[in-house]
Amino acid sequence: MRIVFLLALLGGAVFYTYIAFTDLGFLTRTGRLGPGFFPRIVGLGIIVMTLWAIFDALGQRRTAAAADHVTDELEDARWRDFLLLVALVIGYAVLIRLFGGWISTILYLGVALSLLNPGQLKQNLLVATLFPSGVYLLFDRVLNANMPPALINLPF
Amino acid sequence: MDIFSDLMMGLSIAITPINLAYLLVGAMVGMIVGVIPGFGPSAGLAILLPLTFGMDPVGAIVMLAAIYYGAMYGGTITSILLNTPGESATVASTFDGYPLAKQGRAGPALVMQAVASFVGGTVGVILITILAPMFSQVSRSFGPPEYFLLAMMGMLTLIVMIGANWKLGVISALIGFALGTVGVDLETGQSRYTFGSAELIGGIYFIPIAIGLFGLGELLYAFYTGMHRTGSGGLVQYDKESRFWPTAQDFISTRWTMVRGSILGFVVGVIPGAGATIASLMAYSTERSLSKNPENFGKGEMAGLVAPETANNAASSGAMIPLLTLGIPGSASTAVLLAAFLLWGLRPGPLFMGQNPELAWGLIASMYLGNMVLLAISIFAIPLFVQIIKVPYRILGPCIVVICALGTFTVHASFVEMWLMVAAGIVGFFMRLYGFSPAALVLALVLGPLAEEALRQTMTISRGSFGIFLDRPASVWIIIVTIALLIILPLIGRIGARAKANKATGH
Repeated sequence: MRIVFLLALLGGAVFYTYIAFTDLGFLTRTGRLGPGFFPRIVGLGIIVMTLWAIFDALGQRRTAAAADHVTDELEDARWRDFLLLVALVIGYAVLIRLFGGWISTILYLGVALSLLNPGQLKQNLLVATLFPSGVYLLFDRVLNANMPPALINLPF
Repeated sequence: MDIFSDLMMGLSIAITPINLAYLLVGAMVGMIVGVIPGFGPSAGLAILLPLTFGMDPVGAIVMLAAIYYGAMYGGTITSILLNTPGESATVASTFDGYPLAKQGRAGPALVMQAVASFVGGTVGVILITILAPMFSQVSRSFGPPEYFLLAMMGMLTLIVMIGANWKLGVISALIGFALGTVGVDLETGQSRYTFGSAELIGGIYFIPIAIGLFGLGELLYAFYTGMHRTGSGGLVQYDKESRFWPTAQDFISTRWTMVRGSILGFVVGVIPGAGATIASLMAYSTERSLSKNPENFGKGEMAGLVAPETANNAASSGAMIPLLTLGIPGSASTAVLLAAFLLWGLRPGPLFMGQNPELAWGLIASMYLGNMVLLAISIFAIPLFVQIIKVPYRILGPCIVVICALGTFTVHASFVEMWLMVAAGIVGFFMRLYGFSPAALVLALVLGPLAEEALRQTMTISRGSFGIFLDRPASVWIIIVTIALLIILPLIGRIGARAKANKATGH
């Protein structure tokens, strides 16, 4: 995964640097440093350092493979938990767009707590209703901040 | 005498009912954030910054500063009671804090850590009061070349302190610089990396990235490590102990430890990149080497708890000096504070204290009051914090997601920024997992535009010659200090690493 992450980073860096060289000038018409000066240095820097890190990671992978004691089962469980939370976060972001801040938070917390804290129905219900209400009061009433508006207004 | 009258003026601003209320709320909230494992001052400040938008600048800055050092106070409670540091700066506090608690001295340990934090924080603020005006005076002669060099110094020292993973630290910083180039180039008006999006014309905003990296990213990492599966089972029950308060001997035996820890912590805190973690580990190591009973360290020695606690709080105060007088943050937390200042149209730097005396001295005065408030909260609200520690991470985690998402949205009422926060959170998780430095990225994102602007102005002044950096005495001094720090800091880092290694091997 580490190599995949570094390769993704390298891809982004190449794209960034390509734009710096093709779209952004090194100097302005008056001969001053242009908008491409800094991005070119930064882009080339990321490419060089990421390539170095990839070579390092390839070398480490060979030595680490033998010494890896983390069981596949534990590793799978870790990634499962990570992906579950990522899915919940993305789902929440979609819900916020559709139903606004308050309703979506109740729905999200209801689902999240039933998955992460199963068997505690009363506790989960209390948290899923009281916490969003508290947050709504704090943001919308006390701080007068912008709560996300709903795209679809529910009939209740 | 000038300093005294300035401080009195600051106190008259800080001691208003509303500012005292902000101070109290900030200190309390900061401590709550500090108590949550994995969440330190940077996360607390980033997540809670949007809550201060409706306030006046003085109240907002007072509250944010209180959150900043409140989180430092709170991080130790879990170190003592659960052997789990609230954040990296309180790792050294577990070395003797938890053994003390296991010996049935959790109460005295909790009180002594509060007193030590108070002493460290207060000595730090006294030193700020004396030194900040002097630093401002010196830095008034600084121009674009010096600002560029200072920004580079901040980045380089941070990267050097990363240690073995320095290459990944450089990549993190460069990504931060790259993100900082998005938006309209102010000198030519040309769009850079906006891809026709109106949302990106103003650049990638700092808050969603900071909340994503420090808030959501840390949370994802905590879930990955299985923190939500473990409860607070190992929590020491301090309330069943016969004696809560420390003895006179506890105070007498650690009085010089507090003095040494405060001064050492402050000096380390002033150095950009070094920060509270290094300060606390160094103070622990120094105290152990000076102690008559070094063999007791790691087994429940009060000086072993007091030293890192005074140092990390003094370091938090020390870090305010480069922020207030140079406008250069030395850590991720102070980078978030700088972003907050910029948000209210305030530009910290050499002229800041002269042009905004009410705000600067109001902030410094509030820090004196904040330390007193935190001393009281740290001791008398311990039962409340213990209740918070008992809330399982599997319940706390989803609630933190809500604060991150809604907090990001409230800044500009932008769904794009909310998605940016989610993306930064996922990237932040991988950065944390593979040894990258989210702190370096955030610092570079803040410093990048300043550094680029300063460099381009410098090149315009010098007509394209880099020799200007060697022509100006102030620039030469900054280069000399930077080189000295690059040599000294790895040695300091090694002392800290040795203290950790000694603890791990039980020596």
